[in-house]
Amino acid sequence: MRLYEYEAKEIFENAKIPVPPRKVARSAEEAKTAAEEIGFPVAIKAQVLVGGRGKAGGIEFADSPEETEEITNRLLGLRIKDTPVHSVLVEKKVEVEKELYIGVTIDRFEFKPIVIVSSEGGVDIEKVAEEEPDKIHKLHIDVNDKLRSYQGRLLASSAGLQGKMISKVGGILQRLYGVFKKYDAKIAEINPLIVSGESVYAADAKLILDDDSLFRHPELKEKGISMRHDVSELTEREKLAQAEGIPYLDLDGNIGMFPGGAGFGIASIDLVKQLGGEPANFMDSGGGPTPERIAKMLDLLVDNPNVVTIFGARFGGISRCDDFAKGVMIFLEAKGTKKPMIMRMTGNKWKEGMEILENAKKERPELFEKIEVFGIDTPIEEVAKRAVEVAREEAGG
Amino acid sequence: MAIIVDDKSRVLVQGITGGAGKFHTKNMIEYGTNIVGGVTPGKGGQEVEGVPVYDTVHGCVMGENPDVSVVFVPARFAADAVMECLDEGLKRIILVPERIPIHDMLEVRHKAGKAGATVVGGNSPGVVSPGKANVGIMPPIAFSEGRVGTVARSGAITYYLADTLTHSGYGETTCVGLGGDPILGSNFEDILRLFDNDPETEAMVMAGEIGGLYEEIASQHMSEIKKPVIAFIAGLYAPPGKRMGHAGAIVEKGMGTAESKVKALSDAGVPIAKKFSDIPKLLEERIGKA
Repeated sequence: MRLYEYEAKEIFENAKIPVPPRKVARSAEEAKTAAEEIGFPVAIKAQVLVGGRGKAGGIEFADSPEETEEITNRLLGLRIKDTPVHSVLVEKKVEVEKELYIGVTIDRFEFKPIVIVSSEGGVDIEKVAEEEPDKIHKLHIDVNDKLRSYQGRLLASSAGLQGKMISKVGGILQRLYGVFKKYDAKIAEINPLIVSGESVYAADAKLILDDDSLFRHPELKEKGISMRHDVSELTEREKLAQAEGIPYLDLDGNIGMFPGGAGFGIASIDLVKQLGGEPANFMDSGGGPTPERIAKMLDLLVDNPNVVTIFGARFGGISRCDDFAKGVMIFLEAKGTKKPMIMRMTGNKWKEGMEILENAKKERPELFEKIEVFGIDTPIEEVAKRAVEVAREEAGG
Repeated sequence: MAIIVDDKSRVLVQGITGGAGKFHTKNMIEYGTNIVGGVTPGKGGQEVEGVPVYDTVHGCVMGENPDVSVVFVPARFAADAVMECLDEGLKRIILVPERIPIHDMLEVRHKAGKAGATVVGGNSPGVVSPGKANVGIMPPIAFSEGRVGTVARSGAITYYLADTLTHSGYGETTCVGLGGDPILGSNFEDILRLFDNDPETEAMVMAGEIGGLYEEIASQHMSEIKKPVIAFIAGLYAPPGKRMGHAGAIVEKGMGTAESKVKALSDAGVPIAKKFSDIPKLLEERIGKA
């Protein structure tokens, strides 16, 4: 979970990392008042959870109350990478002498925290890493250790800092590392860290937390920071799915994908593509969905006007095929058979699942006109082939 | 022989009195797995499916001498469960819970590395050595005794690999669910090394997927593996994922995509199966007919 800049800055400030005076504003009026309190010139920065804000025109400077209002109105009307801007951060403009980059993340090759410092920070930091790798300095930290003072000084001096700045920036590195550990972060980053005379400021702040560790941080909730999803980039159906807690993505095709598991969800897209079909979505049905949830997932697919055929597969492990079959029945009884469904069931309780569907078919054959169910004897690729074939007929007809 | 678990394994179930722990203990015993004890703090003295429950791993080690643990406790307690096993000298631990905090797993890897222990998962479906032991949550229906070892990030793909190997007649020595969490206890190459030293395993299939760097890391160790390895990568047609900020990009430089994984493994001489049905063909070229 990524925090807004203003949230990250509050955490950094509490950790004694120097941050310029600032205030969040949600209207031009609020921004003007904030700017007058802080004193001109100010930076006005769109608050969004996507990167590339500076390049998209999301940061501007103002010298007067009028300019502040004008810029804030413009920023609040802006969309950055399809994300609307709901607030801005009004911040004291800092004279830039030197821009550094400092960051802490997990090195997923070495499975250790890694501290990164660059003498050239700013928006082109990734280009620097690519083209001038000797300007980037890295240090792995032992999982059970902290960043020591001498390590902070070593990194600061390799980034070309001199005199008092070595200990100053070294100390900030230690505190940034402390925030990284304390908040179970995936990334804690300051880019740029501005050197201005005798002072140093975190001009930007990025903090991405591990969603799976949020239970350890009830203090975030007290600050008004709770689990969030960035819904602005989602399609209507994706929002619907997200509200139900179903991992779902829209794709361009016409085969509604209803696989079991995230890994197979991804693999089944490959499979259908290789067989000449076009998946309409990615979905992860998760481990052990209830019948009601399965029915909901099928609703999502059948309500999608692009979907002409549904391809379902269930390999019961922690989940059970009888639950899968029950879910299919809830769905069929509520919605009827509007679209063909080609499915395979095997694994945990697959025979019981087949029985449920066979018995239901005897009672209400009309519900099963467009349903084909296969068991363990038919390989998954054969079933996928059949789904692609049916989709082609449906799309052609 | 097999790897990690076999018919001689003495298996401890941590979190045995919980819903999933109970349900899967029953299934594991039905398969013939030798479950010797369970641990749930505060529930010592009870029995689950005839298996004695202890309050601590220490107690279970004293009473039953287990050598493998399978963990069913909630994710937030998973690291603690592993550490408890490591302190009692257990060397093989399988983590079923998913979404274990990543900083916890960094500590687990560190401690397990020092102890020389194999930790599999989190978010692992378990480890099955067909005909010998089924430790975890996998349905036995897909598996049959045979010649090929598998290791996969995803549970469902583990089943489909076994399904493919069983149908084609090769069968499996051991199927390892490496796990779907971001920071895992073991890497692909750790498991491939175990297979390399297992006399019954003739070849290995590894199945990766987009995200993470485990396949790229494995590609750097392929020269150490003597037996044939075939790779399957899920996500060749996946929509591009979201980026994770500069620090990640500086360290990882464009890795983690399906193309990057396919290229890294191909460059290391590992043939790529594009579909499940390619696997038996690639095996036939390397270890002969099934």
